[in-house]
Amino acid sequence: MSLDGGMMDPHAFTRILFQDFPSWEVSFFYLVGFAAIGSFIYGVYREVRKYLRGVPDARVIWDYAHIKQGIVAIATHRTLVRRDPYAGMAHRAIFYGFGVLFMGTSIITLEYDITSKLFGIHYWYGDFYLWFKLAMNIAGVSLVGGLIYMMVRRGWIKPPKLDYARPDRAPDAPDYDRSNYRIEDWLFLWILVIIGVSGFVLSGARMIWLADRPEVWDIRWWSPVGAFFAYGLRALGLDAEGAVILRQLIWWSHGALALTLISLIPYTKAKHIFTAIISLVVRDPLPAQRLPKVPEGQEQIGYRFLTDMSWKQLLHLDACTKCGRCHEACPARTTGGPLSPRDVILSLRELANSALQYSAVPEQSKLAMHGTGVGQVSSETLWACRTCMACVEICPVAVEHVPIIVQMRRALVEEGDMDPLLQKTLQTIHKSGNSFGESRRKRGGWAKGLPFPVKDARKEPVDVLWFVGDYASFDPRNQKVSQAFARLMHAAGIDFGILYDGESNAGNDIRRVGEEGLYEHLAESNISAMQSADFNRVVTTDPHSFNTIKNEYPDFGGQFEIEHYTSFVMKLIEEGRLTVKKQLGHRVTFHDPCHLGRFNKGYDAPRKLLEAIGCELVEMKRCKDNSFCCGAGGGRIWVPDPVGTEKPAQNRMREAASIEGLEVYVVSCPKDLTMFEDALKTTGYEGKFVVRELLEMLEEALEINLVEAEVTA
Amino acid sequence: MKILIAIKQAIALDEDFEIRADGRDIEEDFFLPDLNEWDEYSLEEAMLIKERHADTPVEVVCVTIAPDSADEALRKCLAKGADRAIRVWDESMEGSDPVAIARALAAVAKKEAPDLFFAGVQSSDHAHGATGIAVAGFLGWAHSAVVARLDYTPGAKEVALKRELEGGLSQELRLPCPAVLTIQLGINKPRYASLRGMKLAAAKPIETLAPGDIGLATNDCGESGSLARVRRMYVPEKQRAQILAGDVAAQAKALAAIIREATGS
Repeated sequence: MSLDGGMMDPHAFTRILFQDFPSWEVSFFYLVGFAAIGSFIYGVYREVRKYLRGVPDARVIWDYAHIKQGIVAIATHRTLVRRDPYAGMAHRAIFYGFGVLFMGTSIITLEYDITSKLFGIHYWYGDFYLWFKLAMNIAGVSLVGGLIYMMVRRGWIKPPKLDYARPDRAPDAPDYDRSNYRIEDWLFLWILVIIGVSGFVLSGARMIWLADRPEVWDIRWWSPVGAFFAYGLRALGLDAEGAVILRQLIWWSHGALALTLISLIPYTKAKHIFTAIISLVVRDPLPAQRLPKVPEGQEQIGYRFLTDMSWKQLLHLDACTKCGRCHEACPARTTGGPLSPRDVILSLRELANSALQYSAVPEQSKLAMHGTGVGQVSSETLWACRTCMACVEICPVAVEHVPIIVQMRRALVEEGDMDPLLQKTLQTIHKSGNSFGESRRKRGGWAKGLPFPVKDARKEPVDVLWFVGDYASFDPRNQKVSQAFARLMHAAGIDFGILYDGESNAGNDIRRVGEEGLYEHLAESNISAMQSADFNRVVTTDPHSFNTIKNEYPDFGGQFEIEHYTSFVMKLIEEGRLTVKKQLGHRVTFHDPCHLGRFNKGYDAPRKLLEAIGCELVEMKRCKDNSFCCGAGGGRIWVPDPVGTEKPAQNRMREAASIEGLEVYVVSCPKDLTMFEDALKTTGYEGKFVVRELLEMLEEALEINLVEAEVTA
Repeated sequence: MKILIAIKQAIALDEDFEIRADGRDIEEDFFLPDLNEWDEYSLEEAMLIKERHADTPVEVVCVTIAPDSADEALRKCLAKGADRAIRVWDESMEGSDPVAIARALAAVAKKEAPDLFFAGVQSSDHAHGATGIAVAGFLGWAHSAVVARLDYTPGAKEVALKRELEGGLSQELRLPCPAVLTIQLGINKPRYASLRGMKLAAAKPIETLAPGDIGLATNDCGESGSLARVRRMYVPEKQRAQILAGDVAAQAKALAAIIREATGS
């Protein structure tokens, strides 16, 4: 039904605001309204003041591209539907429902309080009014529907990630109990649901009250849910007189709750409406891939006090909605470690809320982030992190946990608060340039076992410089893989060379440990060695070296074009420089290395290679961006895991073993080969399937050994 | 209150190394220098005394008798919190034996007048185990070697300690200050010196002195001030082991041949 050509004046079709209200009630409403807005503004001021107590963040870029990606993420809810599609969709329903209803209220306010009073302009009537009503009804259904799903989820489905039990605290710790959060969660849901439902009841009551007026009753189906409520209330015996009283009651409760919500936004989890949006807009595209450089001339490094954090990080703390995606993804938490990325964020948030929310910044002791007190993060928690980036990658509101953890570790390193074995390894790396404590001279030793010489890139120009890395250079098992890669490049006729003892540990994991000084030393030494060599591009078999050379060396003046061997070899096959001679026909699964997959989005090349050599790939549930860390990252390869608990690599072996008929667990990272070959033995799956490096499978499929034999024969 | 600590830049060797042309030392190219392991513990012990008694100012001073290549070891000490670093050297000190080194250390100690003098039990390269105690000899101070626990309040006239004896025995004693103590591994857990700490320590000055500055004459130093001098350094010939193959008769035959060869009969 439309009003065009109707008999009545379209101006009649509207809703009279405050209809039949005595003037004191209207004034009282405005008074309450202004109080709510006042409370909101003060709360926002207090939060902004808190964030500005952090230091400036040079990595925040306010440009079109950043703002656009943030808005797109919010509009599509792309980050929210991941790994929890129903919750994501429910949130989308709530978001758009709430957004449209808020816009609706604003449109009414604009006309009633501004355009009509100042300029005598009215627009909220006639066709516009009817469509408006319909839109509000749809939005209301969307809001209430989404909220009801969320209630069902919290009350009945109870996904484990919504359990706030803390792995980093004993049950008797003063900040173990998270029941306040649970109360807040439910209160928030109930307030919103009551606001939504009471809006419909109000609409229904108004229809019964004014049922004798055609400009109200005849257009009831433009407000279908309101009309449905009207019929329902009538069936329950509500007449026009009762409707007047009901309308008055509901009007005030609906209004009071809506204003309460507005006034509480900056003080409760509702603040995520703002903090999450800003957090998504200012997200760093390389949060864990490129860790922050220490500014020139800054003596103290790392985070000790809350005020060492940047404003953006303080804001991240408030953006967290405790959704638990990081909690679920964290390999340390999954295997019983004392770390949940969520609890790190919540602890620091609690600390910030107790220390930074008042008019004056308290003394430093109240701002200390390290420790076992309320709101503090213990060194055990910090050292449990493997910097695998699973938390950062899945966070729907772009909280960047890893840089905070590494910055806090930097302070621990300065104070020497670390595992003695880690300390020993760092000293070894400083002394010999590698974590094996081997002589620098032996770095290129593995190349001696080849039937052809490997060029020394320091002495003659090469097309491809191969950055070998520690594990591929010194670990006997991985040396075999390095030799395979050398044979493969040789067969493809690639002009390549290595730096021999000019190469040091690339420093990726040292930096993630938090030993920034040693990292700077290693990066500068490698960059100068690479810059004095003559080459066109770099290749590596080590995803860790790959990440730091690609993303972090540029900050130290080293710009190199680098590829991981997976994409490098794929191109050689595509270009026809290498030919697959034998289809292997294995049933395999592929483990995405953190530093190749999640860090650098190298998901496709290894899969294409597996397809090219005729393997049937069966994905594990945790694959690609959700790949499960082998446990070696962040320097943890140098620190033994506690005995008696399952190691991340063992957890992964169990996952792989659940694939029926699995023959090969394929890896493409030297550390993975070490970790998983070990885990295969300790989990007892030896003999059921094997762990193989993709390079060795490639060599078999390309029949390079045979080619070599023919050449030498 | 002051603690003086003798420091040595000790040398570890690369796996394959070569003897210097004159046959008296290793070729320098194969040196992997680092702070002597024992000195890490003596410095840590001094730092613990300093930190545990924040109300009494404690000055921790490191001293080494070495050329400037040892500055790195001193920097590590400064990075770990030492207040000052002293290095004594000139060419005349080349070839000093542990006693000549101790003479120089004692001269620095006289100048600095510390309440305690720490040295490592031994150095991780030459392992003479003589320097610390020789310093006590020159100074005539109370001394104790292989100290495994230390109890000292800055300003006290006495130091209580436990020392390790052979055969798993321990001995507890008290010494009057000033005293010379050689510190054993495991007495504490040395702290980590971060690389940034070391770089920052590079800005701290190292006081460099010549033997003359501490009242030493030329014949107190180097080979002329030493009773021992290195004649030759070499890798001892490896002992051989061999598994004899074949049946019993063949094995017996082979064994007889070896015996004949060894006895020259």
